[in-house]
Amino acid sequence: MTWRVSADIGGTFTDLVAIGPGGALRTKKVSSSVGDYGRAIVEGLGELFAECGIAPDQVEEVLHATTVASNAILEHKGARTGLITTQGFRDVLEIRTLRMPRLYDLRWEKPAPLVPRHLRLGVTERVNHRGEVETPLDEAEAVTAVEALLAEGVAAIAVCLLHSYANPAHERRLGEIIAARAPGLPVSLSVDVLPEMKEYERTSTTVINAYLGPILGRYLTALSGDLREAGLAAPLLLMQSSGGLMPAAEAARLPVHVVESGPAAGVIGVQMLARRIGLPNAISFDMGGTTAKAGVIENGEVTRAGEYSVGGGIMVGSRLLSGAGYQLKVPAIDLAEVGAGGGSVIWLDAAGAPQVGPESAGAHPGPVCYGKGNMQPTVTDANVALGYLNPVALVGGALPIDAAASRAAIADRIAAPLGLSVEEAAHGAHLIAASNMIRAIKAVTSERGRDPRAFALVAFGGNGPLFAAGMARALGMTRVVVPPSAGVFSAVGLLASDVEVHLSRSWRRFAQGLDPAALETAASALAEEARARLATQGFPPARIQVRRASTLRYQGQSFELAVPMEAGDTPDAVAERYGAEHERTYGHRAGAGEPVEFVTLQAVGTGLPERDRMPDRLSPHAVTPAVPARAAYFGRALGWLETRVLSRDALAAPAPGPAIIEEYDCTCLVPPGATAALDHFNNIVIDLQGDS
Amino acid sequence: MQTDPIELELFRNALFSIADEMALTVHRTTYSAVLKDNMDYSTAFCDAEGRLVAQGLTLPSHLGSIPEALGAVMRRYGTTMAEGDIFVLNDPFEGGMHLPDIFLFQPIFVDGERVAIAATICHHTDVGGRVPGSNASDSTEIYQEGLRIPPLRLYTRGEPNETLHALIEKNVRVPVKVFGDLRAQLAACTIAERQFKALVARTGVEKTRFYMNELLDYAERLARAALRDLPDGEWSFEDHIDDDGVEVGKPIPLRVRVEKRGDRMLVDWTGTSPQVKGAINNTLSFTRSASYCGVKSILPANIPNNEGYFRVIEVVAPPGTVAHGVLPAACAARGLTGFRMVDCLFGALAQMLPDRVGAAGDGGNIGVSIGGYTPDRQPFIYVDFTCCAWGGRPFADGCDGNSHMFANMASPSIEVTETEQPIQITRYEFLPDTMGPGQYRGGAPFCREYRFLEQEGVLQVRADRRAFLPFGLQGGGAGAPSMNWLERDGKTEKLPSKFCITLKYGDVFRLDVPGGGGWGDPLAREPASVLRDARNGLVSVEAARRDYGVVIAPGWQVDVAATEALRAERRAGRGPLPAVTRERAA
Repeated sequence: MTWRVSADIGGTFTDLVAIGPGGALRTKKVSSSVGDYGRAIVEGLGELFAECGIAPDQVEEVLHATTVASNAILEHKGARTGLITTQGFRDVLEIRTLRMPRLYDLRWEKPAPLVPRHLRLGVTERVNHRGEVETPLDEAEAVTAVEALLAEGVAAIAVCLLHSYANPAHERRLGEIIAARAPGLPVSLSVDVLPEMKEYERTSTTVINAYLGPILGRYLTALSGDLREAGLAAPLLLMQSSGGLMPAAEAARLPVHVVESGPAAGVIGVQMLARRIGLPNAISFDMGGTTAKAGVIENGEVTRAGEYSVGGGIMVGSRLLSGAGYQLKVPAIDLAEVGAGGGSVIWLDAAGAPQVGPESAGAHPGPVCYGKGNMQPTVTDANVALGYLNPVALVGGALPIDAAASRAAIADRIAAPLGLSVEEAAHGAHLIAASNMIRAIKAVTSERGRDPRAFALVAFGGNGPLFAAGMARALGMTRVVVPPSAGVFSAVGLLASDVEVHLSRSWRRFAQGLDPAALETAASALAEEARARLATQGFPPARIQVRRASTLRYQGQSFELAVPMEAGDTPDAVAERYGAEHERTYGHRAGAGEPVEFVTLQAVGTGLPERDRMPDRLSPHAVTPAVPARAAYFGRALGWLETRVLSRDALAAPAPGPAIIEEYDCTCLVPPGATAALDHFNNIVIDLQGDS
Repeated sequence: MQTDPIELELFRNALFSIADEMALTVHRTTYSAVLKDNMDYSTAFCDAEGRLVAQGLTLPSHLGSIPEALGAVMRRYGTTMAEGDIFVLNDPFEGGMHLPDIFLFQPIFVDGERVAIAATICHHTDVGGRVPGSNASDSTEIYQEGLRIPPLRLYTRGEPNETLHALIEKNVRVPVKVFGDLRAQLAACTIAERQFKALVARTGVEKTRFYMNELLDYAERLARAALRDLPDGEWSFEDHIDDDGVEVGKPIPLRVRVEKRGDRMLVDWTGTSPQVKGAINNTLSFTRSASYCGVKSILPANIPNNEGYFRVIEVVAPPGTVAHGVLPAACAARGLTGFRMVDCLFGALAQMLPDRVGAAGDGGNIGVSIGGYTPDRQPFIYVDFTCCAWGGRPFADGCDGNSHMFANMASPSIEVTETEQPIQITRYEFLPDTMGPGQYRGGAPFCREYRFLEQEGVLQVRADRRAFLPFGLQGGGAGAPSMNWLERDGKTEKLPSKFCITLKYGDVFRLDVPGGGGWGDPLAREPASVLRDARNGLVSVEAARRDYGVVIAPGWQVDVAATEALRAERRAGRGPLPAVTRERAA
């Protein structure tokens, strides 16, 4: 009898999930303990164990996604950090790329640098782009700089010198100088964090790593101690933004990889699910109280972005407008995010047009129906007024709902000014929220040259399954999947993840005329490094898998595309694969003679588990709805329809829409014309084929 | 047909997401850094008559350009347009803005009927002419600036116009890049066509036309509502460009009068300098863009980017002025004038809305291009447009190291530049004591040093604000001037603000960007803010005392008593603060 447990800390709630023999799934939602996040985990797990009769020594793994790192950045509560750069370049961190994320905004403020200027010091040295030393490191100046930072009481030092990816000697020497004067002080050398070209991205990433190190180290030490005290001696693993797990000790050394861990877990859960039920292509759609996020699984693989920023805020259509937040160039599951959630406010603009979000009433005070003082209707109020959400209470009765208040707010603020009935206005708001979220789905599909109709929509988060079928229909998609425990599915996804190591190196060479042996030597060296890292984490060779990839571009382009590589691939074969990928993504490729350039080599090592991480079927606690049916509104053409309210188990026999499936953590809407049924994994599958 | 407010909102979302998707397509498929990093391009969606309905995520300086350009196409081809046609132009005197900006238009037909027109504009790396990059500021007639393309068919019913393709190929220095970027523009139009047809299939042709028209009216309603909330009145402002680089030392006045009554606004550039010899003459469309950009900055952010809101803003610029050049005016480097018109307009708007609009920034992009040929005759072109310092604002300091509102440009990576170009960047950092002092100081500018590593090349620079410094407001001081330096054979000499010289191996060119102007009384600045700047090495201890009356004691402490005494003495010894601080350097 062994269990595996996961804990996903969010801003409001901490979701806990335990998975046991035969796929038994036990979940718990507790309030996050802000300031001491570990407490909610330890206490919540204690309660969950008591409720389900789990003994702590039956737990073999604790998996964790946390907002501790991203909060430290957002709230500027990282360690006091010093930065050493090449002389003349100490402002690279603060100047950034010059770009701003908003146009025509006279009030725009740049995010303050994580290291203030007086803690950024230059040292005389210069390496050129070929890695040749042009000016040797001025050792005396380096010592002075280090001592000046130590005198300022820094708790961590970042070092980022120009072209260090091509020759790290000066960075390494600075590391020794620091170690000699301050043994034990956390030092982040850019060559260890991100040995890639582009000084701003590398500096920013290295600084964030240094800035988070002491914070995350303290947090993980405390959490491990608390877990041990509670009898949980099992290893603690953290989710990386790339979707792979990382041992706690490794996360403390390279915290830059665990900044966006929660959202990644949900997508990995969808990937697991898609493999289980034989879906090659799936879109993950995660909608909570404030934001909605879309990601893509294609041919069974997640798509990753090479960089992202933290703290940029959310704006529809903002993917081109960089410059907000703090830049991290580490692999992250590619997610498009829009400011649309259950708490998103419905309002009328100055020309009287109805709008939804991006402002959110959040969880406090929350929608009007929570009765906590908010008067402006929200998406959840619209769903209550439409009869989609339980008009009495949510979260298994724990959250009472005032449906009359929802209707009154929509009547006063939206319906009356527009000359519409309450249900027409509420339905309109529901559609507009859906159309905002459709933009997130388009961002990861059609904007990348992918046709969404070739994908199934996997919906989760507290509100995702309410909107999924309608959005899928608008996009011409025919299948929606709602997994078990959809409301805490990111925590479920943690349980499906593998340990991963992502490595990359700048490697600029033209493919044409390149010696195949040179490519093989460089790529296999990186692959070996990935193997070695996993070996030190305890994986025997048989359970280590390494995938290779490279990023390439046509000469003169200033951006790259990644393509997979196999051992022994020739440069020409990789270049051809790149051309095909370019055509698939952008609709065109260059002529045969156009030079193709390698930009980086990558290796992803996976530590495989001893046995399958997931059972064949997940069985959450069953809940029985209080009433068998209620009226729900489906637009002018269909009007109010008597709609059955079902439990998940009831879908053992396929049910035609309209139907509502009510569960502890989430509500799922099956519109008229669609059919819902359970699959062998216990997913709700909504079939939209053949409907209008 | 009647407007359903919900349907309109859903339609708007769908249409603008097409325009944005076009923009993303250009971004992803382009070859050149000027498009990828500087995003010097725009995409738009127009109705069958050519009215701009949805502009994608865009460069502000392209705001007013599409109607003019598409108008020129419609005049020639309005009745003969066929499915599969694609139109191209760059002629500033027939729809264009300056030669590097190439416009592409694709009419979209549904069941044989024209329903919409997709549009893209991209700044191309080179379109021929006297200098690499086609950006010379010292050309004196359009004929020196490169290949001039009137509205022509690039494709006729899907077939490429071979003559035109060949002509372009032979007249630009880097045809691979130019055609790569034209392909990106075509890809964006293809995406637009595919997505729009899907939208029409869902919505129906008649309803699509109806809601495209409604979107224009909707933007107009929002703009009118916003203007009604602003004070009525008339405000004027004047500023000067140092010179055009040809007639060195001859100031070029910019004058604007803003008149706001009810729900209408007039931006009148009458009184602005006659057109000049140097290549900084605007087209009327560029002056419109600058005017729309300034006005849009004081309107709410949710007004859709389309012709509807242009309707409430009247822009006047007499022909034959730098605000409206006529043949044979040279205009390649007119970016300078556009930026400065935005700043000039802000000077007027700051009188209208003193709590919202701030002092002058660095004056916008400085253009640096270095080009030439390697010993084996391979061309290289490095083009960098940079700016970074905002003016102090009535509520906050000017941004340090941030692009100008009119063109949200990015700086290229130093390491990438050094890998691809015969250039080494040897310094790139903020310059102390250059920001206009004020209660809210101007933004900090930087300097950048370029070491040249090829045997020979041409360096061309277009800077300004050397003589007429970035103005301060409400007692704030002016920012420091721009500077250009050349270090050759161990000697350093000062260069003019606009020049074109031959570089030799090892030469080091240094550019100092001007500082932002300050806002408000420097003696009212929080001493803690002055201390922070001093600690950070942006304001020297001497300047803290001289400009702010703040005495900083050893150990990074403000000497409160000494500061209060010094500030009292300063206040007693001075007259009323000027509303505008204009400084003209010797």
